[in-house]
Amino acid sequence: MASQLLHHRILHRGTAPASAPIDRRNLRPPTTCAAAVTPSLHRKLRVAVIGGGPAGSSAAESLASGGVETFLFERNTSSAKPCGGAIPLCMIEEFDLPLSLVDRKVTEMTIVSPSNITVDFGKTLMPHEFIAMVRREVLDSYLRSRAQSAGADVKTALVTEIRTPSTTNAPYKVIYTEEGSRRELVVDVVVGSDGANSRVAKAIEAGEYSCAIAFQERIKLPDEKMEYYENLAEMYLGDDVSPDFYAWVFPKCDHVAVGTGTVCSKQNIKMYQRGIRDRVKHKINGGKVIKVEAHPIPEHPRPVRVRGRVALVGDAAGYVTKCAGEGIYFAAKSGRMCGEAIVKASEGGERMITEEDLRREYLRKWDAEYVTTYKVLKLLESVFYGSNVGREALVELCGDEYVQRMSLDSYMYKRLASGNRWEDLKMAARTVGSFWRTQIVGREMERLKL
Amino acid sequence: MSVSMALMSSLSAPNLQCMSYQPHPQTFPKTHFSFPALTPKRAAFDGVCAPHAVADGGSPVAVEVKEEADKEGNGSPPVVAAVKEGGEGELVQVVKKFEDGRWVGGTWDLKQFKKDEKVDWDAVIDAEVRRRKWLEINPETSSNDDPVLFDTSIIPWWAWMKRFHLPEAELLNGRAAMVGFFMAYFVDSLTGVGLVDQMGNFFCKTLLFVAVAGVLLVRKNEDIETLKKLIDETNFYDKQWQATWQDETKKE
Repeated sequence: MASQLLHHRILHRGTAPASAPIDRRNLRPPTTCAAAVTPSLHRKLRVAVIGGGPAGSSAAESLASGGVETFLFERNTSSAKPCGGAIPLCMIEEFDLPLSLVDRKVTEMTIVSPSNITVDFGKTLMPHEFIAMVRREVLDSYLRSRAQSAGADVKTALVTEIRTPSTTNAPYKVIYTEEGSRRELVVDVVVGSDGANSRVAKAIEAGEYSCAIAFQERIKLPDEKMEYYENLAEMYLGDDVSPDFYAWVFPKCDHVAVGTGTVCSKQNIKMYQRGIRDRVKHKINGGKVIKVEAHPIPEHPRPVRVRGRVALVGDAAGYVTKCAGEGIYFAAKSGRMCGEAIVKASEGGERMITEEDLRREYLRKWDAEYVTTYKVLKLLESVFYGSNVGREALVELCGDEYVQRMSLDSYMYKRLASGNRWEDLKMAARTVGSFWRTQIVGREMERLKL
Repeated sequence: MSVSMALMSSLSAPNLQCMSYQPHPQTFPKTHFSFPALTPKRAAFDGVCAPHAVADGGSPVAVEVKEEADKEGNGSPPVVAAVKEGGEGELVQVVKKFEDGRWVGGTWDLKQFKKDEKVDWDAVIDAEVRRRKWLEINPETSSNDDPVLFDTSIIPWWAWMKRFHLPEAELLNGRAAMVGFFMAYFVDSLTGVGLVDQMGNFFCKTLLFVAVAGVLLVRKNEDIETLKKLIDETNFYDKQWQATWQDETKKE
């Protein structure tokens, strides 16, 4: 049947309209492990999604609505996860999120350089554009209930072990604790969306990744101080607040989250937190700390993201961007993409899928769409967050409206904003100029005391 | 903190120990400030000072600086900084704000930088460098009542050029000319090809192009290092994304 397929494509190559690109990937002859056609199951495909955050819920929703028998495991349905809580506009559109989930619409951002030079972002935002701040417990439970309405079986349970089969077509066994009793579930496919300390990743020996630590304190401010942060989020740069990232003040529903993060200097995180508290001392004067939280944030993807019929998505796979540290959108998107991949490869849950299916339909698609974004953000982070010279240059550059528009557009819509060539050239020239100037200032600074 | 320690030890003065207040005269070639010791009770004279004892066991630093009223080109003496003492019962935490007579309302008051009716941009750049150095050592809280409004773009591009680029360009051009002359002579003596004929050769033209590009882009050794580090990091990140595909090719 595979050869017929191949034949069909070759025949039609000559007659296909010039505008239709040929999917060369499928023209490759099938590999020796019989990836051609898997036998049809006489039941629905069974998939266990471990972890009910944005990634898991989106995966479960796509799977269940595609006709696959889905089990979604979440150990704690009411915890407020430590998180910045900012989601881009495109997520609201793509995932049909009701605006009632949004606690606050941030329309202004301030970036403060090490020498307290500030720049205000947000002049270029249109009236309908904003950065949505949500409470994770609210968003997560909404997405989970959507998965449930689509037909997923949501289990409030802690998964303790995932047993991988010894033979290729044998099923996976998920061992979990529900209401105090130990239970087992036999499934065909496992989606690991259980976060930075993923148990699924350990089960498939996906390898380790280095993590940054994000530390934040939630502070309830007096009303007049809270007014300042009504629609405003702040970002602070400097060696006193973080050696390789930024510190933030994000407004939440009725309090602010003041925090910072670092990769290379995790043992000093408390010192950096003190640093950011000092930097915003006057603005949070009189506030009360209501919660202190910290969480690891993956710095790069795991060495293995798909093995056998197990796929990792979201934080478990390491899909947090650099520079902004954004994870929610990419978690949900990867969950959805993986779910859709499984539905397509199994033809609506009718057939068994293989590792090659997961790689082709999910990994390849994901990498093709987002690898450039990740790499560009990594470059920006290395250049602009690494030293005071870079940070001052960043603040200088962000004063320009074109730069603001481009960065906000690419954040909100996850696409390379369409600017015009002339402005791009001017921006490049301005970047070079800013760097040159801040480097000179940096050199003079070093010379001053020495 | 280690920067200040390093600066103290690198000067030709008796070795300074942490937390001790010793007098030591130092001269700086460029700024003509001298830095005698600081006494905690400062009289109301010139002095932007910075003892910065950290209360909770961070590395304590005794940076003693005191600027004398120097008649600089700008002619305005620096101003006494307000010294607040935190009464927490622990080590005295002295909090200082950056202050300078010419820093008014969150930006540099250009009227105070006038030299012969024109703004002395070099002094503005120096002042800003000093301010940033200060804030690097003593980060200050950002305040809404007292925002920093300074925008580096008020300094015109030609001020930067004249002071920093032109001397460097002169140096590089001089070196290039000397090297070029001797290379031309050398090649001529070896091959007998004169300067005009050398320029006609494609290989020579390529070498010249490479030399010019190299001189323009790579100014210092540090530049190469930074660039190399950036490329290494990007490559490493790239490899991390490709890692999951290595698994596949290994199996096949």
